[in-house]
Amino acid sequence: MKRSRQALRVAVLTYVGLLIGLPLFFVFQQTFAHGWSALGQALNEPQMDAAIVLSIKVALLAVPLNVIFGVGTSLWIVRHPSRFTAVLDRLIDIPLAISPIIVGLVLMLAYGQNGWFGKTFAAWGWSIMFSYPGIVIASIFVSLPLVSRQVIPLLREVGTHAEETAATLGAGPVRIFFTITLRSITWATAYGVTLTLARVIGEYGAVLVVSGNIALVTQTLTLNIGANFDNFSNFQGFVGASVLALTSIIILSMLSIARHRERKRHEYLA
Amino acid sequence: MAVTANSPEVSTKLPLQTGRQFRAVPALTRNAARGVAVTFLSLIVLIPFAALVTNAFNQGLSGFWDAVVAKESLHAIGLTLFCATLGAGLNAVAGLATAWVLVRDRFFGQGLLNALIDLPFALPTVVAGVTLYTLYGPLSPVHISLTGTWIGITVAIMFVTLPFTVRAVQPVLETMTFTAQSAAATLGASPTRIFRTITLPALAPALLAGTGLAFARAVGEYGSVVFISNNLPYKTELASAYIFSLTSSNQNTAASAVSLALLVVALLLLGLFAALSRYFSRGAQ
Amino acid sequence: MSIWLKNISKSFGSDLVLDDITQEIPQGSLTALLGPSGSGKSTLLRIIAGLEQADSGRVELNGRDVTSVAIRDRHIGFCFQDYAPFNQLNVFENIAYGLKVQKLPKAQIRREVDDLLALVRLEGFADRYPRQLSGGQRQRMALARALAVKPEVLLLDEPFAALDAQVGAEMREWVRSLQHQLGITTILVTHNQSEAMEMADQLIILNGGKVEQSGKPADVYEAPANPFVLSFLGPLTTLNGVSLRPHNIEFCEVGQGSKVQVVDVLHLGFEVRVTVTNQDNDRTWVQLTHDEARKKNLQVGETAAIRQRSNS
Repeated sequence: MKRSRQALRVAVLTYVGLLIGLPLFFVFQQTFAHGWSALGQALNEPQMDAAIVLSIKVALLAVPLNVIFGVGTSLWIVRHPSRFTAVLDRLIDIPLAISPIIVGLVLMLAYGQNGWFGKTFAAWGWSIMFSYPGIVIASIFVSLPLVSRQVIPLLREVGTHAEETAATLGAGPVRIFFTITLRSITWATAYGVTLTLARVIGEYGAVLVVSGNIALVTQTLTLNIGANFDNFSNFQGFVGASVLALTSIIILSMLSIARHRERKRHEYLA
Repeated sequence: MAVTANSPEVSTKLPLQTGRQFRAVPALTRNAARGVAVTFLSLIVLIPFAALVTNAFNQGLSGFWDAVVAKESLHAIGLTLFCATLGAGLNAVAGLATAWVLVRDRFFGQGLLNALIDLPFALPTVVAGVTLYTLYGPLSPVHISLTGTWIGITVAIMFVTLPFTVRAVQPVLETMTFTAQSAAATLGASPTRIFRTITLPALAPALLAGTGLAFARAVGEYGSVVFISNNLPYKTELASAYIFSLTSSNQNTAASAVSLALLVVALLLLGLFAALSRYFSRGAQ
Repeated sequence: MSIWLKNISKSFGSDLVLDDITQEIPQGSLTALLGPSGSGKSTLLRIIAGLEQADSGRVELNGRDVTSVAIRDRHIGFCFQDYAPFNQLNVFENIAYGLKVQKLPKAQIRREVDDLLALVRLEGFADRYPRQLSGGQRQRMALARALAVKPEVLLLDEPFAALDAQVGAEMREWVRSLQHQLGITTILVTHNQSEAMEMADQLIILNGGKVEQSGKPADVYEAPANPFVLSFLGPLTTLNGVSLRPHNIEFCEVGQGSKVQVVDVLHLGFEVRVTVTNQDNDRTWVQLTHDEARKKNLQVGETAAIRQRSNS
C-alpha cells in the first residue's frame, strides 16, 4: 500500500515535471543564458516594446467591456429567467470551445474588408480588422464567458432578499446595484477579471488572424514572440516569452488570492 | 412610531407614480442587462457566426462538401481528432492520478505541484508552443526531437489540457468520504476491485466533464501546437492550421466550410461526452 | 396605520395563488397570516410590501391606495426569514442604510442608530459583521434596520423559522413586547399555529389562496368555521366518528360513556396522552393534565369509559 502510494507520487511528479515544470524552467534559463547586458538589450528592442504596449492597450479596453457584459448577462440570466436566457446560458460557453483561428475567421467574415460590413465601414472611414478595434473584439470573443461563469452561481446563491430589503428601506435601483448587488459579487468578479486578463494578453490564434501581424503596429506581445521564433531570433523570443510567463505567474497568484477570499466568504456563510 | 414621512402632501403626490416601477431592482437590471447582453452577443458572436454559415455555402452545397472532403482537409480534421482524443484520453488517466496525489497524499512541495497545474491555464499558448518546440525540437538540450510528429502534437495538447481534468476531479475527491470504500473492504473486496467498482464510478461524471472540456480545447488548439507540428500538409497539419492557411490565401469559402465541419464534429463529440457524463451520474444524489 | 386588502388575486402562470382576498388589518395590531406552505401567505405579504404586484385588487394603507406606489415610497419595514443581512456592511452600516438613503446628517444617523442598537439590545455590536452574529442577533439587527426608517407597517416573513426552539421562544416574546411598546401595525407570516396563537391579536387563516377564517385567536380556536381550521389550529382525534380536540375528552365512570380499553399511556411532563380503543378497534387519544392522569391512575390494558367534556 505504502509502496504503491510512493510510486504514484513519483509518477505524477515526473509527469507534471517533464510536461510543465521543465519547459517553464527552460524559458527562464534561455532568457538568462546570454547574460544581463544581452537581456537588457533584448528588453529594449523596439518591436517587442511596441508589442507590449499594444497588449496592455488591448487589455485595458477588452477586460472592462467583458466585465460589463459578464455582469450584465449574469444578472439577466439569474434574475429574469426565460426561455431565451436558457438558450443564452448554453450559448455563452461556446467561445471557449471554438478554435481561436475560427474565431478570427468569423470576425473577418463579418467585419473584414470583404466581409458583410466591410464596405460600409470603409465608406465611413472605419477600419476594424487589421487594427486595434479588431484585436479588441477578438480578445473579447475568446474570453466572453469567463466573468459570467464566476458570477452566475454566486448571484443564484445570494438571492434577492438583500436587494428587496434595500428597496423597502427606500433605496433606488442604482443605489441598490452599487451598494448591495455589486458588493456581493465583488470577489467572483475579480476572479473572472483575472481569468479574462490572462486570456486576453495570452491570446494568439484569433489575434493572429484579425490583426494582420504588422510589427510596431498591430503586433501584440504573443504575435511578437511567434514572429521572433519564425525569424530564428530565438533569444529575443524567449525574452518576450519570459515577460509573458512572468505576467501569467503574477496573474495566477492574483487568481489564487481571489479564490482564497471567495472560499473564506463561503466559510462565513456556512 | 412617528409617521412624519407620510404627510398629506406626500400622499397626494404618490398616486402619480404609477406604472410598474414597484419592482425597483428588476426594472434596472432587466433593461440594462438585456440591452448590454443582446448588443454584445449580436455584434461579437451572432452576426459573425451567421457570416460563417453563409460563407460556407457561398458556392452551394456541393462547394461546401468539396471543401470539406478535400484530401488535405480530411487529413487535417482526422489528425486533429486523433491527437485530441489521444491527448485528452491520456490526461484523463494522468489527471486522475495527479488529482489523487494532490488530495490523498501529503508531501513536501505539494503546494508547488498544485500551483504548476494551473500554469497552462494562465500561460499563453504561444509561450507553451515555443518552449515545447525548443525543448523537444531539433535543437533539444535533452536530445528528444518530437518536431513534425504526431507525438509532439499530442505532448503539446497534453500540456495545455492537464488542468482541465485535474481541476474537475479534485473537488469531487476532496468531498468524497470513502465510507463506501471502507464498507467494501470489510466485505473482502481488494483495493483494485474497490477502485474499479466504487471509486471510479463516483468520479466518472467529473472525469468525463473535465475530459470533455480538454477535448474541446484540444480540437481548437493552435498556438501551442503550431510550432512543434511543423505544419506539413498531409502529414502534421492540424485543422486550425489548415483553416489559417486557407484564410491567408483568401479562400474564405473553403475556410468557412472546413470550420463549420470541424465545429459540428466537435459539438457532436462534446454532446457524446455530456451524455456519458449524465449516464454515469444517474446513481448520484 | 390600518391596512385594507380589497379583492386581491394573483396567479403565477396557471397557478392561482391568491383568490379574491379581502381583509382589514386594524391599526396597531399584530396580525398573523397563518397557513400551510403553498397557501399564498408569503405572496400576500410581498404584495402588501410592493415586492410583488397583484393581478387585480387594491392595497390601501390608511385609506391611501398604494397599489401602484413603488416599494421605496410605501414606508414599510420588511424582514425576511433569512434576515437578508447586508453581509459586506457591519451592523452599524446595516441599520444606517435607510437613513443614509434619506441623506440625513451624519450626527443624526449616529444618534438614531445608537438608539436602535439599544432598542434591539445590540449595543457594542456596531462594528461586527453579520456573519459574526448569532441567529437571534442577526434577526434583531434586521428588525432595527427595518425600524430605522420609521415604517408605518412592519412585515415579518416567517421570522422565527430559522432559529432553534429556545432562541425562537425568547425572540417571540421579545418581538411581541417590542410591538406593544411601539404600537406599530405588524403582520407576521407563519405556518406554525402555536406561534401565531401565542403572538397575534388577530389571525387570518389562509388555505389554497383563500381566507378560511379570521378573527381573534381564542374565537377562531373555540369556534372554527370549517373542518380545515379545526384541524389546522390544533390536534384532533375522533370519538364515535366525531372529530374533536383530544383535551375535550374526559374519562368517566363505566356506563356513563363509551367503553374503551387503554392501550398506551405517555407521560410528557405537564401533559399526559392516553390512547384507547373501543370494541371495533377504533383508536382515540385523550389529552389529560398530569394531575388528572394521576387521579385516574390509568394502566395499560385497563377497561375505562370516555365521553366528550360537557363544557365543550
